[in-house]
Amino acid sequence: MQPYVSGSSKDASARDFQIKETLTATLKNRFATYGYQQIGTSAFEYYDLYSSIAGTVNKDEMLKVIDSSGKVLVLRPDMTIPIARMVSSRQAATAGERLFYVQNVFRQTDGELGSKESTQAGVEYFGENTAENNAEIIMLAVHTLRDLEFANFKIEIGHAGFFKELIKQAKLSRVEIEQLQAMIQSKNTTDIETFLAGFELEEELKIAIKKLPHLHGNPAYVIPQAEEIVRNDAMQELLQNLRDVYEVLEAYEVEDAAVFNLGLINNMNYYTGVIFQGFVENFGKPVMMGGRYDNLGEQFGSPLPAIGFAFDIDDLLQARKQQKLSVPEPGAPDFVIEYTAEKQRDAFRLAYQLREKGLTVLTFPAGSSGGSVAAKRIKLSQDGIACSPLLDEWADEDKETLAQLFPEEKGDE
Amino acid sequence: MEPLTLALAKGRTTSASLSVFEKAGIDFPDFHADSRKLIFFDTSGKIKLIFVKAVDVPTYVEKGAADIGIVGKDNILEAQADIYEMLDLKLGKCKVAVAGSAETDRLSNQSLTVASKYPAIAKNHFQKKGQSVETIKLNGSVELAPLIGLADVIVDIVETGTTLKENGLSIIEEIEEISTRLIVNKASFATKSEVIHPLIQQLQGALEEAKA
Repeated sequence: MQPYVSGSSKDASARDFQIKETLTATLKNRFATYGYQQIGTSAFEYYDLYSSIAGTVNKDEMLKVIDSSGKVLVLRPDMTIPIARMVSSRQAATAGERLFYVQNVFRQTDGELGSKESTQAGVEYFGENTAENNAEIIMLAVHTLRDLEFANFKIEIGHAGFFKELIKQAKLSRVEIEQLQAMIQSKNTTDIETFLAGFELEEELKIAIKKLPHLHGNPAYVIPQAEEIVRNDAMQELLQNLRDVYEVLEAYEVEDAAVFNLGLINNMNYYTGVIFQGFVENFGKPVMMGGRYDNLGEQFGSPLPAIGFAFDIDDLLQARKQQKLSVPEPGAPDFVIEYTAEKQRDAFRLAYQLREKGLTVLTFPAGSSGGSVAAKRIKLSQDGIACSPLLDEWADEDKETLAQLFPEEKGDE
Repeated sequence: MEPLTLALAKGRTTSASLSVFEKAGIDFPDFHADSRKLIFFDTSGKIKLIFVKAVDVPTYVEKGAADIGIVGKDNILEAQADIYEMLDLKLGKCKVAVAGSAETDRLSNQSLTVASKYPAIAKNHFQKKGQSVETIKLNGSVELAPLIGLADVIVDIVETGTTLKENGLSIIEEIEEISTRLIVNKASFATKSEVIHPLIQQLQGALEEAKA
């Protein structure tokens, strides 16, 4: 027989699925307490939607499908764009809308066989670019990470405009910008220096670019350093933006969970303002990413400023496993009912009543398998009812449950 | 507090790397390169050193099994790991280059077969030039490949060029300068900043002192 197991298989056993469901429920509950409502979008999006917006998902990473009319569709490779499309294209787009989602996104990465799907849980808040709105969503991310019992986590906060403003003055080609961006993202000062040496740039600008990756840490340290490389009013304003957000975070009393990282660059080009990502201890990639995108709505005909973030559920599971955080125990059945042929009706009636009460019940004909399940056992036969362990050892509420169902008969094995 | 984990690459730059730490005031008294032990602590007990194969160092750091690592740029490039690459220890300097025999039709348009310990570096290099290549992964004696017709050219580390010359090969083009780097796990950099940031500064200080 041919084994059909793909390397990127996302099959989940009952136990793994339960763990994932519990984690997802935690996130959903938390999002709801901040006034977010769940939505869903189609698994298919038009390829043109993604190819028309510059700087989103790499075209080669998208999984394409062709429909009966010959149009090219993609399995949604991200969630932000579909939601922005959905909200913006409605007749009356409502500002102030808070939406969340838990859905799979699909991307194939070069070198990895098969397609890759991952579950994302995220929020989008269609609200103005104010320090309060920006900080609230960061607070929600912090609150969620606390719910997940991570002992040590940090939210890195940066600004999409900071790198863009600097690079605008450098007049580099697109390929050169990408190279420089990768070096800044890996804080590789050595290579940045070598790279910049090959260009005719103002010395001051070179110093500023070299400094960017090191603007990481507490605002008290980062802000004065950043001020040294501020070259125009626009950059000054961005910095003020970040300061304001931090002040609100202080009011939320979560400033310890946040650090500035002005070398933060998101590969999604649509971000326009504050961007952030969340790290948990010893997990090398961010478990959460997000930021403000105020111009994306214009692509769909109605300018709607918005901010959002997404958690990668699979990464969260992995990180929790790595840190040996407790996972819910699989639910064992509450009762096992064994019955002889003549007592079948009674057994089914009993099982129905117990299940109505929300208890988990398994039923077996006497003598069949199922004998190994650890649970309170009830045996129905001509001799009456036998319980094991003995009825006396049952918890009071279980005794009561049984007594209510069998007012007169009672028997011990 | 949990000690910081440092993954150190086994190889010719091991002792020179440790002397940089020594200059920065961090000593691993029990460490011997030929010891069978794989884990060592510094005198303060704040840094745990794990001694691993060089190619594995980027993986250890990316996956968070180590917070920081000391490893050659060649292995970083090959692993394509998502990490911070923060300091150049300026040790073990050499380069990665494409080399071939005199008869090799100097990288003409024909499709090339490239043998290398670094298939990813080789592939990326030729892809950037718009040339399609087939790569063959070898784990040693790469110079042999063009001689016995296994490959047209090789991509390998070149230090002095002696090995190449003795096998009748020469450098066709240079790809990248290599030296030993300090790499850092992205999460550790944010969550353990109060230990990692000073350590990096200490090491940087030691490096600048050595230069002066």
